[in-house]
Amino acid sequence: MLMSIDAETRTTAATWQRHREARDARIEAGSRLARGKIVEARDATRLMEAVIRPGDRVCLEGDNQKQADLLSGALLAVDLAKVHDLHMVQSGVVLPEHLDLFDHGVAKKLDYAYSGPQSARIARMLFGGKIELGAVHTYLELFARYFIDLTPHVALIAAVSADREGNLYTGPNTEDTPTVVEATAFKDGVVIAQVNEIVDRVPRVDIPADRVHFIVKSEKPFFVEPLFTRDPAAITEGQILTAMLAIKGIYAPYGVQRLNHGIGFSTAAIELLLPTFGEKLGLKGKIATHFALNPHPALIPAIEAGWVQQIHSFGSEVGMDDYIRARSDIYFTGPDGSLRSNRAFCQTAGLYACDMFIGSTLQIDLQGNSSTVTTSRIAGFGGAPNMGADARGRRHPSEPWLKAGSEADPDSPAALRRGRKLVVQIGETFGDKNVPLFVEKLDALELAEKLKLELAPIMIYGDDVTHIVTEEGIANLLLCRNAHEREQAIRGVAGYTDVGRRRDRNAVELLRQRGVIRRPEDLGINPLDADRSMLAARSIKDLVRWSGGLYAPPSKFRNW
Amino acid sequence: MTAPIKHGVQFPAERARTTSFNEASARMRLELLLDAGSFLEFIGPEQREVSPHLKIFDLPEQFDDGIVVGRGRLDGAPVLVAAQEGRFMGGAFGEVHGAKLVGLLRAAREIESIPVLILFDTGGVRLQEANAGELAIAEIMRAVMEARTAGVKVIGLIGGRSGCYGGGGLIAGCCSALAVSEPGRIAVSGPEVIETNRGVEEFDSRDRALVWRTMGGKHRRLLGAADVFTDDTVQGFRDAALRLLDVVGPYGLDKLKAEQIRLADRLRSFGACEDAVDIWTAEGIVHAEDVPELPADQFIALADNIGRTSRDAR
Repeated sequence: MLMSIDAETRTTAATWQRHREARDARIEAGSRLARGKIVEARDATRLMEAVIRPGDRVCLEGDNQKQADLLSGALLAVDLAKVHDLHMVQSGVVLPEHLDLFDHGVAKKLDYAYSGPQSARIARMLFGGKIELGAVHTYLELFARYFIDLTPHVALIAAVSADREGNLYTGPNTEDTPTVVEATAFKDGVVIAQVNEIVDRVPRVDIPADRVHFIVKSEKPFFVEPLFTRDPAAITEGQILTAMLAIKGIYAPYGVQRLNHGIGFSTAAIELLLPTFGEKLGLKGKIATHFALNPHPALIPAIEAGWVQQIHSFGSEVGMDDYIRARSDIYFTGPDGSLRSNRAFCQTAGLYACDMFIGSTLQIDLQGNSSTVTTSRIAGFGGAPNMGADARGRRHPSEPWLKAGSEADPDSPAALRRGRKLVVQIGETFGDKNVPLFVEKLDALELAEKLKLELAPIMIYGDDVTHIVTEEGIANLLLCRNAHEREQAIRGVAGYTDVGRRRDRNAVELLRQRGVIRRPEDLGINPLDADRSMLAARSIKDLVRWSGGLYAPPSKFRNW
Repeated sequence: MTAPIKHGVQFPAERARTTSFNEASARMRLELLLDAGSFLEFIGPEQREVSPHLKIFDLPEQFDDGIVVGRGRLDGAPVLVAAQEGRFMGGAFGEVHGAKLVGLLRAAREIESIPVLILFDTGGVRLQEANAGELAIAEIMRAVMEARTAGVKVIGLIGGRSGCYGGGGLIAGCCSALAVSEPGRIAVSGPEVIETNRGVEEFDSRDRALVWRTMGGKHRRLLGAADVFTDDTVQGFRDAALRLLDVVGPYGLDKLKAEQIRLADRLRSFGACEDAVDIWTAEGIVHAEDVPELPADQFIALADNIGRTSRDAR
């Protein structure tokens, strides 16, 4: 009797470790191609065939900036009899190979967050049924699902260097890697890293060796795109005017110190106006001191002028390495001195520890919903919806958060009232190629109808947006008391777009009297003062000079 | 570094020192380049001499057709001036645009004693009026040579955002002397044109460091194609123009022959070089690869040392 219970318990115990056994079998198969953990680049495809099973969930890094390009090429070359119908779970669909996988039949299903350069092709492939779409996520949302229902069986990651044990140094572009490895390695998955070099001792350990199963040395460094460099020479006077309005009309009155900036030219203009226009307003030390932000070159003058105290970064930026090393008071750096970025933590910081998000968009509708989706492009969301959303779980007070909360809900007792994150959309009424920023109906809705999506791809929901800034002025949506006021406030700053011309003149004038709409003259700003001579740097070369020669811009941004 | 901002009234000289030539409009360049208040425009925008071609393509016209011509004073002495507006159709030459410059040069030829400053900022001929534009280039080149033959100094100032490309590069080659800044570029075929015709292996137009070291102001100065290099301020170009007006000598057959010898010599010395850095090395510059990073003052000292400019040629 006792014997039989023991036997039964033993068999049960064994079946509780099937995943670990399967993982060990995969590693065993892969090890035949490896010396220690090291696999030659020419064997990378055979390694994939040995380790990956049909239908697996695979995270092919696939970040915003860095790309495991050697491994994506190797995966594309697999024998379809051995590997097929994969479910790709990766934040960035960036390289052409990421979509070739679906064309070839290596992969079938996709869950992702961002597809910047592939946005047109991904739309075509979704229309053509080439890709079975799980969902388009925000970064934080996809990372969360790595730990619940989208845990990778295999992670294909990129690092700068590895030692022979498998300890990895990810370099300044750590980005998603710790999150991906955490979810994969601790849930019986296999981690394969491509590295630029194998060294005796890594400069610092970003990923410990016991979470890494195979190392492939790449002939050339992994691909990294400079995504956050905005050439000051391309900033227009219109963008400078919107930047002046934002600084004087939002940053100053709310006292915004902790924030995240989008990557557009308007926010680059804000960064370049801090040491000039901001200085003149006496705002130094009172605003823009703590950032969740990639290392924007445009912020160099503000840092050098002593405005910024601390920056945590999602990723890095090409050319900023030496500058970051030399400014470790500002950035998060490792014992080796180089930047340590981390997308998951920085997204969390942007969501919970920042009082403001300010960024550009392509379309805003009459409710304030905004989207960067057009009918032929699905760029994904990246991080903007996390930055640009009120964090309902937030409990710590701060002056801007409380002030925004009291404007939205003046009648509730203060101690029971939620604060509000400031979510600011900034842009010119007519954007690139004179396309209007304001629309009656978002292209995202049409797309959702065409693709039969349950949710339209809205980047920032209208009920999260607190302010809209255009060259016509600032609309403070916190002060609007109903949908009609909100609509007229939006029309009121929509200028000569069709949406703007259909405004109710009297309603808009009343809103202006209440301070819901504030024109440049209401803020004491003369639009004729918006001049490029106000920018602390007017060219990439100026940024290099501000940095004392530490910033080394990539060739595509030089004009010398 | 960009100069600190001072709001309110600034003296013209102060503004000329702090205003980027590269960023300024054509009108701003003239206003700050010439003696204060001395500029008088010919065929100004109020006369609305617009392109007869653009409306056929439903394209916007500009009342000055993208070029400002007139007269003014430089350090008290009279000058005739033309400034292209690079922000209107890339400063391209059309029929009216070209005719205004031809007329200015012919007037200079008749007067004989007043020099001409051409502030180039152009991508070349306007595609929408290609025939008229090409004819204009030929007429301008002839007018430059006729004016110079009559004793007129014709100085080109190159530092605009559109550079000096296509026919503009040909006209610049006809001038008595050229001043250039770092952002200024001088060439006939532009980077995209070369890439389209000869392939990205021949010339990668997106490699901007390559573009600048092949066509940019520093290289043109070291090669002797430009006579003076200046920092990117309007005052810098004013000083450069004054200096060139002072040193340019009379034009005649001897000079033309000397120019031929200079160009043949240049081809012999550098024809086999693959890259501008090779040329700079061949010129005896020790750390040639550092040239693009040199600040203006250090570069000017270096260029003056190399001394490629030939006062006998051009």
